[in-house]
Amino acid sequence: MASASAARTIATWREQYAELMRSAFLVDLQYRASIVIWLIWGITEPIISLGIWWSIAAGGAVDGYTQGAFARYFFGVALVNQATLSWDAWNIDRWIREGEMNYRLTRPIAPIHEAVADNIAYKAPTSMIILMVWIVAAAFWPAVRIPFEPGRWALAIVAIVLAAAIRFLNGYATGLLAFWTTRATALVELHYGLSLFLSGRIAPLSLLPPGVVHVAQYLWFPYMLSFPVEVLTGSVTTTAQYARGFAGQIVWLAIWMSIYLLVWKRGRRRYGAVGG
Amino acid sequence: MPNAIVAAGLSKTYDVKVREPGIAGALAALARPRYRQVRAVQDVSFSIESGDAVAFLGPNGAGKTTTLKMLTGLLFPSGGSAQVAGCDPWTGGNAFRRRIAFVLGNKQQLLWDLPPEETFRLNRAIYGVSAADFASRRSELVTLLALGEIVDKPTRQLSLGERMKCELAAALLHQPEVLFLDEPTLGLDLEAQQTIRDFLGTYRERHGATILLTSHYMADVTALASRVLIINRGRLLYDGELAALVARIAPIKRIELVLSEPASRSRLAEYGTVAHYAPPSATLEVPRETATAASARLLADLAVADLSIQDPPIEEVIRIAFGEGENG
Repeated sequence: MASASAARTIATWREQYAELMRSAFLVDLQYRASIVIWLIWGITEPIISLGIWWSIAAGGAVDGYTQGAFARYFFGVALVNQATLSWDAWNIDRWIREGEMNYRLTRPIAPIHEAVADNIAYKAPTSMIILMVWIVAAAFWPAVRIPFEPGRWALAIVAIVLAAAIRFLNGYATGLLAFWTTRATALVELHYGLSLFLSGRIAPLSLLPPGVVHVAQYLWFPYMLSFPVEVLTGSVTTTAQYARGFAGQIVWLAIWMSIYLLVWKRGRRRYGAVGG
Repeated sequence: MPNAIVAAGLSKTYDVKVREPGIAGALAALARPRYRQVRAVQDVSFSIESGDAVAFLGPNGAGKTTTLKMLTGLLFPSGGSAQVAGCDPWTGGNAFRRRIAFVLGNKQQLLWDLPPEETFRLNRAIYGVSAADFASRRSELVTLLALGEIVDKPTRQLSLGERMKCELAAALLHQPEVLFLDEPTLGLDLEAQQTIRDFLGTYRERHGATILLTSHYMADVTALASRVLIINRGRLLYDGELAALVARIAPIKRIELVLSEPASRSRLAEYGTVAHYAPPSATLEVPRETATAASARLLADLAVADLSIQDPPIEEVIRIAFGEGENG
């Protein structure tokens, strides 16, 4: 009986997610020109960082990073960043401020599922585009080739999915602060600024001052970007490094999930658009 | 009939930040924020039998939408309790949400960039409607609302009236037991308003759905609801038949006349109060109980080309009812 009910629940979820992702994908197709611009914008930052580090490394490797290693690192950053982007705070802010949350709250599905489906529908195809660009680049530019190690790639995919989940829950939970304040998106901007340094976006973490690295390792930032990039590009090698990275991802995922649940529960009670 | 909606002492109080105008006021509010309590809904109680249609009336800011938002589980009340479709709106979860629909005239759930058909598909999955039920309900709604031509056009290309029709279809695919409508005809032209009214009446008859609606258009109210709830400043002022309200608030009838031979204003005043005099037309106001007798005398004494007896305009009745609440 229990298994039949569980099977029904799974079937319902699968159907709901399939339709949510389908409609999100169809909406994305309407905005294909914008998506191309966002994609270009998304890779601009790692390209600029690569350009700077490339010229610095022209005189010799920087702390073990050769020009080729920087190229692989920032291609990795472009791919992982695309797969883990977070824009939900702005959506939720709008839903709450403009009353678009109302109908979402009367449907028999929590609004977060729409956001998850929207994320998958956007990130899966656009990350594939970045991956294709990387593959084409690797055909002509040996420096950006990464070793053929399917086991490592599989672990990298797991690390990227966990990173995407952490970053998503972080953005979503912050966006829900719009239940209390009109400045939730400002917090997201601040978080973005910190993540430039602490997640390894503008430089591999090991190149940052030891103090910064020390602080970062106790926060969620490295697990949202740096760790999956390093798994992908081969900087993570020992079992201890893998175990530490994945454990960090799981702990921060659990923490951000708890924060989301808490903020959601409190925020729902707080919700009170005056009118009528 | 069992009750589809029961509200018992529902109240909602908001804390609203008080801010003086100007930069100094903004800085003061930043340093020491002050809050004022706004009692949007105060101790509102009523019940609606299953299958009934009731209109919720009140001026802007009276507490209508806040009450609807509480009954749909969107807002948590500051006090009181409610049962809707047999569930507690705030703890009923998804089982509750599958039994209701909430249509807001000024907010849409249709996917803006895609045809309404895509929203229908999405709602089918979200509400877990079987393929067979979906096919028959969709076909019924498309026929009743004449959506054949428009379900495949992108929503952003539809007129306001077309969008509202699709909005209703999307909200009814899961066949809710209780339908909450907040200004469903807002901004629509007369023809679209009439289509929506006709549809809602037919739908309720066919499926026995309970309807609680707010509207500023009295035609919506008179066409759809025999019972009205009047709310002002968060308090329920009247709960009862529309006809009884009219009789209580305005115990008069209006006799509208067209005369084939002129009669002076003073001559007409012998039969009642002359509310409007523009020969050959005139309007007399007479006590409700003497309206028939007065009409008979008018027909006997004067050369009358046309005569009709009417209730005073409902807008006027409601306006007087709101006024009573403010004074009392």
